Amino acid sequence: MTILKTENLKAYYITEIFGIKRIVKAVDGVSIDINNNEIFGIAGESGCGKSTLIKTLLGIVKPPLTVLGGDVNYSIDDKRFNILSLSPRELKNIRWEYISYIPQSSMSVLNPVRRIRDSFKSFINAHKKIEKKEFKNLVEDHLNALGLPVEVLNAYPHQLSGGMRQRVTIALATILKPKVIFADEPSTALDVVVQRGVIQLLKDIQEEQKNTIILVTHDMAIHANICDRIAIMYAGKIIEDAKTEDIFKHPLHPYTKYLIGSLPKIGDKSYKVSAPGSPPPLSNLPPGCSFHPRCPYTTERCKKDIPSLVEVDSSHRVACFLVSKEG
Amino acid sequence: MEQNNKLLEVKNLVKIFVIGSGFVRSKITAVEDVSFDLKSGKPEIFTLAGESGSGKTTLARMILGFIPPSSGSVLYKGKEINRLNGREMELWFMREVQPVFQNPFETFNPLKKVDSYLYETVVNYGIANKKNAFKPIDEALNLVGLSLQEVSGRYPHEFSGGQLQRISIARALITKPALLIADEPVSMVDASLKMSICNLFKELKEKQGVSIIYITHDLATAYYVSDRIAIMFRGNIVELGSVEKILTDPKHPYTKILRDSVPEPDPERKWQGRIELSSFEEKEYQSRGCKFAGRCPYVMDICKSKMPEDILVDGRLVKCYLYTPNLNKAIV
Repeated sequence: MTILKTENLKAYYITEIFGIKRIVKAVDGVSIDINNNEIFGIAGESGCGKSTLIKTLLGIVKPPLTVLGGDVNYSIDDKRFNILSLSPRELKNIRWEYISYIPQSSMSVLNPVRRIRDSFKSFINAHKKIEKKEFKNLVEDHLNALGLPVEVLNAYPHQLSGGMRQRVTIALATILKPKVIFADEPSTALDVVVQRGVIQLLKDIQEEQKNTIILVTHDMAIHANICDRIAIMYAGKIIEDAKTEDIFKHPLHPYTKYLIGSLPKIGDKSYKVSAPGSPPPLSNLPPGCSFHPRCPYTTERCKKDIPSLVEVDSSHRVACFLVSKEG
Repeated sequence: MEQNNKLLEVKNLVKIFVIGSGFVRSKITAVEDVSFDLKSGKPEIFTLAGESGSGKTTLARMILGFIPPSSGSVLYKGKEINRLNGREMELWFMREVQPVFQNPFETFNPLKKVDSYLYETVVNYGIANKKNAFKPIDEALNLVGLSLQEVSGRYPHEFSGGQLQRISIARALITKPALLIADEPVSMVDASLKMSICNLFKELKEKQGVSIIYITHDLATAYYVSDRIAIMFRGNIVELGSVEKILTDPKHPYTKILRDSVPEPDPERKWQGRIELSSFEEKEYQSRGCKFAGRCPYVMDICKSKMPEDILVDGRLVKCYLYTPNLNKAIV
């Protein structure tokens, strides 16, 4: 069942300084369907618009970010709404209870001069009026379920290790059992061993609460480990989305092929080739398919027309003229 | 010059940082007794791998002569680098050993043209005067697949991270160094361009005969580029040897955990089993014995009181009591 659907979503950064208008097409015609009870991965390089996409999906649209087209429709349980048309008050009620967010840096969520317990308190009190005892039970049950020690509640953030802090942040973001969780590079700043612990926790939560996680990271190996489906983003557009196995075993878009083909693996010393050139700036995209200047299979058509995302196989969509044979 | 077949020799290097002053002073041993060497005549890529706080960057800074060691010595071509006498020798060392930094966007001042760094390097190292600087700069840029024509007159924001990192490497190559010390050179580069930087390092080694100390936390790229690897943990090298051996069949319990935690970019080879993480900030720096004892599944009494020696196991050095002969121990 679809829980989140966007159609041709466009969110641009528009600035005008001294009469010079600058448009950064960070999210440019994105159509995605995210199902209930799945881990959906969004992969892409830095500056491809993945963070802006997350912001728009969360309804954090403030100038200079402007939504020029498309809706972000959620259907959670029997609630249906377009997050872009909600009032700030309605948004506040929905956030954390229905839709939650795990940031990259846990220090930006946890107040350094307050104990973890107080952070939990202010989080919960913003949504529910509950008794002291009920609060204690709720928080302790949640921490136990996630396998975190209850003693962390009395600690200050600086007393915890980096991995523990990130896991506390995850506990905080999931305490109200949200249906949709956005995780933006949740493990990027962490060490490998700790990263594994954090990803393991995310997976446990998803299995227990049966909710939807939208995981954004540039690390394809993390996607391979926990995602059910993956969307590849390039220059503000989704260029391919499919089941994890299909993306890794049969990538279709030339960019995805380069991306998967150049992943280093332990035990494999064969020569890896990166895509030639470099990603285009979002403020000055090439005409036609944005990948065409780097693509080895460019045709005349690629330089003029923009390929649309079409289904080529069951639940495998690609935006490339080579594959889709469109038109 | 004394006869020596070693390019770089690191001997019992120690760095202790003192934090605070007066009554609240505490010591952190960032690097504790590290020794390794690189042979001359046979260029290689040597990886220093470890988590954040393992002391790899401090070690690199000592090798570059940026900070003095607390004890121990670094010998470059048989010369102790902290006792180089005179400007002449310092320049010689700085020409021979060049750094490449992590974040290309921080390496270059955004308000200065990129090529100004290249001209400065040529002039400061006395390679040519400004009029004749074109040739050495263009040669260095050609090695990284660029040309001065492309770079000239442009500012850092006009380049992508991958291109800037190439320029940063080209800058280091101007002095024709024998050794590059690259601290996390690919971690800030876009995924689709990462491997091109890795390939560049391999090429420099093979065609230009440059040895490289590659510092990283990313074991997958380490496996791809390097010949030998040293795994660091809390200021010590716990395992050192050929990259194939160490990463495909790790011996030290820490290397094993590290290896198992690296995610594989293959949905058919997901992580197996579970791992436990410690909750609170550990005082591993302060323990006297093996720093990994607190987390090690095979821990013995002796581990907590005395640092193990390096033991040669299957062609690599391992710092662990599990491999000490004649010691009653748990079965590995």
